[in-house]
Amino acid sequence: MRAIERLARNSLRAADAAATRFYGWRYNPLHQTGTIAVALLIVLIVTGLYLLVFYRVSEPWESVQRLAADPWLGRWIRSLHRFASDAMVVAVVVHVLRMFAQERSWGPRALAWVSGVVLFLFVFVSGWTGFVMVWDTFGARLAIVGARLFDALPILSEPVQRVFSGERPIPSAFFFVNLFLHIAIPLSVGAGLWIHVSRLARPTLLPPKPLGVAVISGLLVLSVVFPAPLPPEADPFVIPEGVPVDWFFAFWLPWVEALPISIAWAGAVATLALAAAVPLFTRRAREGAHAPSVVDPRLCTGCNQCPQDCPWHAITMVPRDDDRPTLVALVDPALCVSCGICAGSCAPMGVGPPGRTGRDQLQQVRGFDFAIPAIRRRAPVVAITCAQLPATHVHALEEAGAPIHMVSCSGNLHTSAVEQFLRDGAAGVIVFSCAPRDCRGREGPKWLLQRMYHDREAELQPRVDRRRVRLATAAPGNLAGTLAEFRTFADSVEALGIQDLQPDSEDLVCEPQPVVASKRRAWR
Amino acid sequence: MSIARMAWHVAGVAAAIGGALALREGSVHPWAIPRKSGDAQVRLSWSARPERVEQCRRLSDAELAELPPHMRLRLQCEGVFARYLLTVRVDSSGIASDTIRGGGLRHDRPIRLFREIGVPSGQRRVKVEVARLDSTSAAGDTTEDHDTPGDTLLGFRAGREADERQRRAREAMPARLVLDTLISLAPGHVLLVAYDETARRLTGRMARSVP
Ligand code: SF4
Ligand code: SF4
Repeated sequence: MRAIERLARNSLRAADAAATRFYGWRYNPLHQTGTIAVALLIVLIVTGLYLLVFYRVSEPWESVQRLAADPWLGRWIRSLHRFASDAMVVAVVVHVLRMFAQERSWGPRALAWVSGVVLFLFVFVSGWTGFVMVWDTFGARLAIVGARLFDALPILSEPVQRVFSGERPIPSAFFFVNLFLHIAIPLSVGAGLWIHVSRLARPTLLPPKPLGVAVISGLLVLSVVFPAPLPPEADPFVIPEGVPVDWFFAFWLPWVEALPISIAWAGAVATLALAAAVPLFTRRAREGAHAPSVVDPRLCTGCNQCPQDCPWHAITMVPRDDDRPTLVALVDPALCVSCGICAGSCAPMGVGPPGRTGRDQLQQVRGFDFAIPAIRRRAPVVAITCAQLPATHVHALEEAGAPIHMVSCSGNLHTSAVEQFLRDGAAGVIVFSCAPRDCRGREGPKWLLQRMYHDREAELQPRVDRRRVRLATAAPGNLAGTLAEFRTFADSVEALGIQDLQPDSEDLVCEPQPVVASKRRAWR
Repeated sequence: MSIARMAWHVAGVAAAIGGALALREGSVHPWAIPRKSGDAQVRLSWSARPERVEQCRRLSDAELAELPPHMRLRLQCEGVFARYLLTVRVDSSGIASDTIRGGGLRHDRPIRLFREIGVPSGQRRVKVEVARLDSTSAAGDTTEDHDTPGDTLLGFRAGREADERQRRAREAMPARLVLDTLISLAPGHVLLVAYDETARRLTGRMARSVP
């Protein structure tokens, strides 16, 4: 499984790099597949409502034909409905691959994964009912193959296929049921979406406006220029030589036609079970880099910042066991994804995954080796990078003369570590984080920006010269941009001359307060 | 904006256009439906009740007296629902042969048939035959109970049973059904063979009936 993950990660990185070159990291659609899928769902609902007004269960194909023949609205709204659903499947597939490649499928994220698999199935079923509703040759083929699959199950004694045999006209009730499902399932997708993001503190549901507008208008232009054709009406007495298939929804059609029904069923069930079971195969031991965050109650002042910053709702404030009048933070390990963002949010450095708390970071900074041959004679500009930064960027920064310090996520970085670098002789500190919408910790760059420049709790102290600190984005595919950021910053820092922060002029570390009844609270 | 950057963005627009066209193509790309055997089709689709094959025995007065009053019936019948042999021949060569029977665990439900059989197109003689396999000619008294007076409880029950038996016999598929027809099947066309419950015969159709 690890090898597959690695392969997926490398492929994703290459695709990400290309998309960043094409559209820049702000509007890289590959970072936004989940939100693009939601935007497309909205398009589907809006266009679907319009189509609903004109659809007739008593004359399904004829009513769609009238829509398709309407050159003003009907034709392109129908096409937009169709292409948006196809684009949604593509977006969801990329989203799934992305989550898998980025190891975001297990542990506390398993609920999102499994609910995502169910949602994807809902999207398919909703799509199939939509095609069947039209009752063109493709819709009929889907219905016939679906009925064949259904008839293989010992549920109904009457073969469903007889409905399409031509003995009598297909009852309107059949199209009504399809219509009902086609409306009801997207509604349940909405409810499922709520479960899908329920673990997140602040889910992002929509893409940045320019990207959303670009995707939707692109599909709109496609619908106007090349509208989706309407295949002929299905005739039970004619087996068409070929049908125009929507491969995004019916990629399985040739297999089901070719394979024995039992094998087709076994394949479908196995695929679904395997997809839902991915979190079992991808999970890691909750130790080392994956260990959940812990709170040191002696340091926690009860400021209530980490519960606000935690993107996964993993921290709550609970009464203390000692006689201090504040609450104390408590991490639920079952919800913690070990992103380390809480470590950056705690001014007294009392919380974080083991080895990544603010204190651990200060320790590492104090032992940091600034010695880089190329810049031995001048104060270096330190580059702090997120661990997800591609190795090519790291090497290029090193070659450009930057000593590198790595953190698991830019949101994990404690601002005191930045200050410590400056005290220890760095001329400047530049922090490279992932593109905000690509952050595996979800909100790392956002919170770091606020802590550095907008006085969010655990802020960078006012005594630190902001001209010597910079926050930048490094994205695969934008090496030139990463280097340019570094060089510009290094030049501007050089122009400032020697900085005047004295080493250890003020202690950056709080002293732990004793816990009287020091009984560690366990999460229940 | 540097030339290189602009070139990338132009490539991005081209990629988006390519992606959109690929999306459309993937949305409508034709697929040739495989025709497994023959390019035309005979489709058998019907639902009909199987005949009940019974063996009956007349109970003596003494036997009748031993039964609880509500179960007394002069003619006691036991039986099964008949199986049928379905054969399909095209131009006198058999292309399908199967035993069919009613649905349900006791096979007392209607025979619900749906078969699609590929046949070569062209001028064809298609013969579909359904023949009962189980016979009612087994030994036993299957005559109706006419000697019990109709105005007694026993007579009323005997009459009701006889009516029920007649109704079942009326609704059941005949012992032999044959559709023998010469047709011209164009490639991709379907001959639908169905069972007409009213006329109690097989019918063949090659086009939708006009509503
Ligand atoms: S941020 Fe630190 S001090 Fe504040 S509640 Fe969390 S652990 Fe306690
Ligand atoms: S590491 Fe901290 S911020 Fe991240 S999920 Fe765990 S408790 Fe929340």
